[in-house]
Amino acid sequence: MSKPRRLSSGGSRIDRSSRVSFTFDGKLMSGYRGDTLAAAVMANGQRLFGRSYKYHRPRGVIGLGSEEMNALVGVGTGARHEPNARATQVELFEGLAAVSQNRFPSLSFDVGAINNTLSRLFPGGFYYKTFMWPKVFWKHIYEPVIRKAAGLGVAPEGRDPDSYEQIHVHADVVVVGGGVAGLAAAEAAAVMGARVIIADENAVLGGISDLEDGTIDGAPQAEWARAAAQKLYDAENVHVLTRATVVGHWHHNYVMIAERVGDHDPAIPKSGAPRHRLWKVRAKQVILATGALERPIAFANNDRPGIMLATAVRAMVQRYGVAPGEQGVVFTNNDDAYLTALALKEAGIAVQVVDSRARADGALPERARAAGIAISTGSVISAVKGKLGVEAVKIASYRKGQGRVVSERSAPCDFIAVSGGFNPAAHLWCHNGGKLTFDEGLQSYRPGSHADAIVAVGAAKGTMALADIMAEARAAGEAAAKVALPKAKAAKLAKLAISEDARKPLEAIWFAPATGKYNEGNKHFVDFQHDVTVADLELAQREGYESIEHTKRYTTFGMATDQGKVGNLNGLGAIAEATGKTIPEVGFTTFRPPYTPTSFGAITGSLTKKLFLPVRQTPVFDWHMMKGAVFEPVGQWRRPYTYPRDGEDKHVSIAREILNVRNNVGVLDASTLGKIEVKGPDAGAFLDRIYTNMMSTLKPGRCRYGLTLNELGFIMDDGVVVRFDDERFLVHTTSGGADRIAAWLEEWLQTEWTDYRVFVTPVTEQWAQFAVAGPRARDVIAALKPSFDVSHEALPHMSFVEGTLGALPVRVYRISFSGELSYEIATPANHGRALWDALLQAGAPHGILPYGTEALHVLRAEKGYIVVGDETDGTTTPDDVGLSGLVSKKKADFIGKRSLEQAHLKAPNRKQLVGLYTENPEEVLPDGAHAVAEVKDKPPMKTIGHVTSSYLSPTLGRSIAMALIENGRARMGDVLSFPLDGKVVRATVVDPVFYDKEGARLNV
Amino acid sequence: MSDILSTPHFETALARRAAPAGLGFAVREMTDRGMIDLRGLASDRKFMTAVKGVLGTDLPKAPRSAVAWGDIKVLWLSPDQWLVLCPRARAVALAAELTAALAGIHSQVTNVSDMRTVLRLEGANLRTTLAKGTSTDLHAAEVKPGFVKRLKFAEVGALINIVEDQIFELYVFRSQADYVWDFLIAIGGSAAELHLFGKQSPA
Repeated sequence: MSKPRRLSSGGSRIDRSSRVSFTFDGKLMSGYRGDTLAAAVMANGQRLFGRSYKYHRPRGVIGLGSEEMNALVGVGTGARHEPNARATQVELFEGLAAVSQNRFPSLSFDVGAINNTLSRLFPGGFYYKTFMWPKVFWKHIYEPVIRKAAGLGVAPEGRDPDSYEQIHVHADVVVVGGGVAGLAAAEAAAVMGARVIIADENAVLGGISDLEDGTIDGAPQAEWARAAAQKLYDAENVHVLTRATVVGHWHHNYVMIAERVGDHDPAIPKSGAPRHRLWKVRAKQVILATGALERPIAFANNDRPGIMLATAVRAMVQRYGVAPGEQGVVFTNNDDAYLTALALKEAGIAVQVVDSRARADGALPERARAAGIAISTGSVISAVKGKLGVEAVKIASYRKGQGRVVSERSAPCDFIAVSGGFNPAAHLWCHNGGKLTFDEGLQSYRPGSHADAIVAVGAAKGTMALADIMAEARAAGEAAAKVALPKAKAAKLAKLAISEDARKPLEAIWFAPATGKYNEGNKHFVDFQHDVTVADLELAQREGYESIEHTKRYTTFGMATDQGKVGNLNGLGAIAEATGKTIPEVGFTTFRPPYTPTSFGAITGSLTKKLFLPVRQTPVFDWHMMKGAVFEPVGQWRRPYTYPRDGEDKHVSIAREILNVRNNVGVLDASTLGKIEVKGPDAGAFLDRIYTNMMSTLKPGRCRYGLTLNELGFIMDDGVVVRFDDERFLVHTTSGGADRIAAWLEEWLQTEWTDYRVFVTPVTEQWAQFAVAGPRARDVIAALKPSFDVSHEALPHMSFVEGTLGALPVRVYRISFSGELSYEIATPANHGRALWDALLQAGAPHGILPYGTEALHVLRAEKGYIVVGDETDGTTTPDDVGLSGLVSKKKADFIGKRSLEQAHLKAPNRKQLVGLYTENPEEVLPDGAHAVAEVKDKPPMKTIGHVTSSYLSPTLGRSIAMALIENGRARMGDVLSFPLDGKVVRATVVDPVFYDKEGARLNV
Repeated sequence: MSDILSTPHFETALARRAAPAGLGFAVREMTDRGMIDLRGLASDRKFMTAVKGVLGTDLPKAPRSAVAWGDIKVLWLSPDQWLVLCPRARAVALAAELTAALAGIHSQVTNVSDMRTVLRLEGANLRTTLAKGTSTDLHAAEVKPGFVKRLKFAEVGALINIVEDQIFELYVFRSQADYVWDFLIAIGGSAAELHLFGKQSPA
């Protein structure tokens, strides 16, 4: 068997003066600048690129570019390894290291290939049939084995060292595809002044103009394309993107383009540029010029290495100067593939044509005949000899629809160029609901109607003649610019003189009859990537998978990275023939984004590591960091959970912080607390409707705790309301509820109570706010030269004063969440660090220590104060948590009032907040532990409630817990059982206020 | 402590951060900016007159616009909300003046000078670079000096004001200043700089 080789001349894309060395499967190879990996490996004499997914059959290059479904390779090493790259798209660079995939232990000898011999055991739907029983095997046996055997490529090792980014761009017109149609459309739109983005997935614009025969203005069309591309590069209003795949189209012409900025040159990402960039483009108009994808023909063993699409063979010869072999057969049902025969002949490679049509008398076949190329019409390839490559074929006589071989003859050959026609690349057309219509001439689907401002032109629309393509593309470009820019003036472009050999119609062939028994060693592949054959599709029909979508899932045909590019229509054709339906009756499957696989890096962009999630920092965040605080997330804030000292265990530091508040004084960064200023003549009335209790009666300079309910009567948020003066209030919310409550207030004002003259302004971030709590708190404030009287008489519990501490402006709220003498002191945020430092310094003689959120939580639990979200869960009413006293009976209305009257919210047996003392004082119940009516050997047991908060209280020297228990307030003194893993914890129901029930410590 | 108590120590969100070399634009924190959130009804002639009496300029009524007068600038935020900018040292007094002038008129004056961090960006290619953080079309015709818009920038809410053609100010909440700073550095490297449209050389 001969090998592919580099021809002594030719190759429009390669620079023969610039050698590039690279490795494939560790083997050192050499190519030229401009080569693709596919071309370079073949130029080094190798056809084999990988093993197939299911049967592990040897596979080589089949396609031209992104539609390649066989030659998927891993590129790069270690953390920079990328699996499943298409060898036809990988551009060669010095030092490139690529590996084949899905082979074990080596490419030319693969033990998995036994699957091929045993293929009768692996029919369509094999996975569904075989790995059903027993269920326990699913996760630990079947899946790992299947994954190992069937996987495509391996993941990179370690963290991706490269950077990625995204950009939002707005354009008048986005042209998808830089072939002649795209170039013409872009030019027509651009000359009218539209801002145009033209994106092409290849490195070079021009599409396949260099592989086609038509001329424009007397020159090869590729020359026109080169000049047109240059004009677009030069234009001020055009942005040209190459190596940029439009991967998806969504509503309102939102287009996503994945640009491979640095894959072709490792120096680019190393310089600090992103490796990939995702463009999120909002386009007024989209023009699809995505061209058409050549389809293969389903003949026996049509997957052997050396069997390629006709355009791909042409590209090998003309672009890269690579001969796929010494002796080729072109197998076609159309005229276009004759260009490949002519190209091979011109390169000095022996070639003959097998044409399934009865007659081949178009201009191109005639040219081939004149060039002395043998043509067998009414013929198909019925067998391929060779496993790792092609050694010979059998050519059988054929009439359309014929299923068996009547007569055949052998012909030597070492490669095959196959063409079954062209399918418009309408994938993007379908992403956002575009309709397809079946074109009898093409024997394929092409774009029909679409609701978005999008049009398809050229081969993407099924328009195949060059003159028609150019006229259509220019008209579309002009029309798009006119719609995008209603005032734009039409600009006349010079008329083009186009000539091209006319093509005669193709004749559909969905199945070529084979030598010997069908499907016994004669696989007619439809989807090469997933090893789906015509026989698999027929079997699915026999088994009742009538819907094409069901057949797709059952057989895996057209799925995953391929998204129905190469094999799709052949599958539909095969099913149509098997069922006696027409292709439109069979339908088609859904094309989904992305058009080609897109890196996770591009999808994530720059939002990784510390940019993944915004962390909100208080004005003293740096201090917390410096002191080694352990943080916990509260909304997007990070709050110090505790400040361990000198290797302290967290439990130790938390207990220390708690006792220091109870015995001396502590300071807490409460800046995250939500703060909203509410002002207006109707502010009091407004807050009366927002809170369950009365706020309009609050006196200026005083504070009041309040609950807010949602319309369902359930507790939504809580906090202290402060009245500054007649019209001005400050509403405190929970840290996590600040934005929600501000929006809630605005919503009621803007949509329901529009007659209220009230403004609300969120000011959370304006203030740094610190709680100074403990018996020595007053001493600390007093040491800071307050401009106000801090005595209990002048500033009693639940009062407010504004003034200065030294030079710092402050608002002081005497409120407490710990049950101790406590002040919350607010100062403008930029003074926050100064106030914090001053408090620590002034408090040092009094033993001040910072405390974190866990100490805060234990302190409040000791006092029986609820935390919204712990003691409430969105179905909890004020009465449930023992706060019915905060629900005004006098007010005409407030949000949630009506709902609180519902029978089920007043029903007996609602869960009520209680305290719990475990029998063993050391035992801390887990949060969420359930109390049961009766302990049984195993679940289910009827639950009567659950623990909402549970701590070891250093103040009380024992564990405490809060719980919501059915009818809990009537169970005081009862002992409840909490079954846990392997034990039952018993606890007595007690009052939830564990410490200082009289509040004596507050009023000092 | 006496020092702490005698001078009002002041530390903005980014006081400890410095821009690294190699950025495609200049960025610095504007620490001297006073900001007053002003609420009122544009339809209330008394309100508009009283405000003009203090600021010396009418409030901008056109969406996404700004007016400047002396050392004062007013950004339109919504039909009944403006952000009044002034030197930081003037903010307390100016807020008091506004409050006094608006006594008895339905309005709200809130000094929010510490609530936001102002980042001043200077560079020839800002419109494109910032497009890495926002879907707002910064190349649109209306995005000229004076333009104001609240937008999503990276993953947070922000406000942008075009000061001059190549000078933009980005207002972000103080707690998120660090995040936005890091984001600007991540997207702003010269090596990643992108020039949209205009003459290109083929790759």
